Amino acid sequence: MMKLTLKVNGQDHAVEVEGRTLLVDVLRDTLALTGTHVGCDTSQCGCCTVHLDGKAVKSCNMLAVQAEGHAITTIEGLAATVNAGDDLHPMQKAFSECHALQCGFCTPGMIMAASAFLAVKPKPTDDEICHALEGNLCRCTGYVNIVKAVKQAAGLPVDQH
Amino acid sequence: MHASATRVEDLRLITGHGKFAADWTLPGQLYAAFLRADRAHAEIVSIDTVAARAAPGVVGVFTGEDAIAAGYTKNLQMLTIAGRDGNKPLPTPRPALAHGKVRFVGEPVVLVIAETQAAAQDATELVEIDYRDLDAVIDPYVALAPGAPQLHAGVPNNQLFDWEAGDLPAVEAALGKAAHVVEVKLESTRVVPNPMEPRVCMIQYDAASGVYDVYTCVQGVNMMKKQLSAATDVPEDKFRIFAKDVGGSFGNRSPQYPEHTALMLAARKLGRPVRWVSTRSEGIASDFHGRANFVTGKLAVDAKGKMLAIHLDWVADMGGYLSPSGGASHTRNPATCLSGVYRIPALYGRFRLALTNAAPVAAYRGAGRPDVAYFIERLVDEAAVKLKMDRAELRRKNFIPMDAFPYPTPVGAKYELADFEGCLDKALKFADWKGFEARRAEAKKRGRLRGIGMATVIEGTGAGAFHKDEIALEYRDGLFTAYSVAHSSGQSHETTFTGVIAETLGVPHDRVRLVEGSTEKTLIGNHTGGSRSMVGAGSVCKIAALKLIEKATPLAAEALECEPSQVTFADGAFSGMGKSVPLMKLAADVTAKDLTALDVLGEGSVGSTYPNGCHIAEVEIDPETGVTEILDYNTVDDCGVVINHAVVEGQVHGAVAQGAGQVFGEKAHYDPQSGQLLTGTFQDYYMPRAGLLKRIRVEDHPVPSRINVLGAKGAGEAGCTASIPALNNAVLDALRVVGVTHLDMPLTPLRVWEAIQKAKKK
Repeated sequence: MMKLTLKVNGQDHAVEVEGRTLLVDVLRDTLALTGTHVGCDTSQCGCCTVHLDGKAVKSCNMLAVQAEGHAITTIEGLAATVNAGDDLHPMQKAFSECHALQCGFCTPGMIMAASAFLAVKPKPTDDEICHALEGNLCRCTGYVNIVKAVKQAAGLPVDQH
Repeated sequence: MHASATRVEDLRLITGHGKFAADWTLPGQLYAAFLRADRAHAEIVSIDTVAARAAPGVVGVFTGEDAIAAGYTKNLQMLTIAGRDGNKPLPTPRPALAHGKVRFVGEPVVLVIAETQAAAQDATELVEIDYRDLDAVIDPYVALAPGAPQLHAGVPNNQLFDWEAGDLPAVEAALGKAAHVVEVKLESTRVVPNPMEPRVCMIQYDAASGVYDVYTCVQGVNMMKKQLSAATDVPEDKFRIFAKDVGGSFGNRSPQYPEHTALMLAARKLGRPVRWVSTRSEGIASDFHGRANFVTGKLAVDAKGKMLAIHLDWVADMGGYLSPSGGASHTRNPATCLSGVYRIPALYGRFRLALTNAAPVAAYRGAGRPDVAYFIERLVDEAAVKLKMDRAELRRKNFIPMDAFPYPTPVGAKYELADFEGCLDKALKFADWKGFEARRAEAKKRGRLRGIGMATVIEGTGAGAFHKDEIALEYRDGLFTAYSVAHSSGQSHETTFTGVIAETLGVPHDRVRLVEGSTEKTLIGNHTGGSRSMVGAGSVCKIAALKLIEKATPLAAEALECEPSQVTFADGAFSGMGKSVPLMKLAADVTAKDLTALDVLGEGSVGSTYPNGCHIAEVEIDPETGVTEILDYNTVDDCGVVINHAVVEGQVHGAVAQGAGQVFGEKAHYDPQSGQLLTGTFQDYYMPRAGLLKRIRVEDHPVPSRINVLGAKGAGEAGCTASIPALNNAVLDALRVVGVTHLDMPLTPLRVWEAIQKAKKK
């Protein structure tokens, strides 16, 4: 077992993990941040996407020990990165307003991936949005409203059909 | 009503505060790992668990012996109709853990329970299983032929069931004298449902009361209890099912699985909660699969294009065991709509269920309805080509006219009122059907093959396994609370059911909340499935709200100091003798004196509704790469009165994408010789991704249902039912000009490119 300190949503947490423990398992099982989900075992689905120093990473695809010394943001802490923390991040709002979620299981990962993407590409094309979400799977929405939500969050005009 | 409102359920889901099955934890919980069959067909000679039992952290190891000792070898069977020879489907006993034989890759054989997940996983690697390999069979036609490997001793020639519907002599006579008979041989591919939340089950057993607390993904708590009871002989009232958020279902959450009962054994023996969270790879191998239907179909038409008869010879691949819903889904469901949307005098279908060494097959979004629509709509396009008729006009000519409803089909279904022509006309307009040839010509100049395809379809939805649906409705502390056993897994019941109630009661939407699958209230009612929730439970929400108004009326009369007959109710308030009292105030007053004063139980029994519609897809193919792009997709659906357009639109988007996934890439591939699963992870199992469906227009064409108080028809599955034929027809339309006349799904770039090359050589 190894002792390390993880900075998650602005707070330091002292945790003890096995060398093989994945970051997602520490977030979910040790820190009880269950908004980060696990939907596959080959890093394809993106349900476990979090921010590491503001960049989207798949937390099933990195060891907990690799995250030490970095700032981790999960879906629970996303809103606080843009305001006092009692409101929603614009991407969260857009997902709800555009009906971009149904069952909601892929949603945290989608929102984390999409928000990190807009941070580096504030006015993307539809094709760029689709490309950016290549690593996030959704089985409910057909992605149409997800693309719409990302555009809305980016302040781009949204096709009503 | 409540058009495009932000959903009630959204806030917790977008902030990470949803509660999915793996988010539940219990004090003292143990962790489970299954060791699964690594081969398709073998006898189990011996299982050595000594090293695993001695491994650090391991507290229990269970095998098929334990399952046999407990008698956990059965499952509920929903296929109850009699076959051609009068017989019932043959049973395929399936112990909770494999015993004697394994019959597909991924079948659970050994269950290891340990103090940590890693310890359980590690210990499975210490189990030694000695197998004697047997030949495997994957192709259901081969499985039914003489000399095939036999899966179950009680199922000769791997044929589980042989059923027919319709009038064979009439169909044969029509086929014999028709001007044209077109024939297709098609496969509706075996796909994996893959809801994004993997399967989960945690069980805690209380020895004192004999009650099992089951934390698992469901489509409805009643269906799960009924099946767990049927599998174990434990009475239904000894199960409490805990489920809140469910991460997608598509049929996959309806069945009880052997893992549930294996975990019951462990929880009872060990006296602590046991928890299992499936990996995706386990899910792809062992979740019940969908579709897997193989059909030879014939359509007879006269010289002018009048349809005379349909003949389908249907073989359904059921995999290694008959699942609870697989048989009914792939016999009775497709037969219901064997006539499609057409007036066809003679119909016949023969349905055979075959065993193969693959994962069992069960209901999957549409459950036989997309398959039959695909086969019929492909035949109709073939007939149009043969007759050199416009595909829309051939359909129009044969539509069941509005004055023929309710329309009894020759196979015993009774379609309720529909307007097929209205849907078609709208769709033709949106898709600019007439302008297509100009677009094809323009694409040709760019070296692209452009195609357009349509499907006009109907499906039976709404009827369920329980004889009625109940909704309990009560007022407490400023809120109306409705209780339902139909569980949402994305269908937005918390928004739509409460919307129906709020509108009926005339109260603000946020004054009504919905509790699904309560362990405190025992209600009769169906699970979510077969597109039935709004039709059944949703209608009963309205019935319950009306009943509450009725119950409140005499209390309102007291408050208004008049006779109940003098009281009227409108816009959320009771009025009488020139005075009025809002329902919210009356409810607060009367429940302050008697808490249960306004408690009501609404109930209703709803039969089948028949949603229908027309979808038109336009595609473009790059002949150099075989890559197909969906350029435009137009849907016009009659799902009756629409309660919330945004929700219906979302259902259509998702179902069309699921259909498109099956059409363009999804397939559970097994090696035909060894029976090994070749698409065992998301690395190699194709899933639809963002951009597959770029432009989609969803238009409602509501013809109210007359069999439920909302006028609603099912909406959840129509997108699959129509998109599979519409997209296939569009691709074939693009490829016919280069001589391709047949293609089977999945229409991958390679398969399309190869078909083009082959046609060139002809």
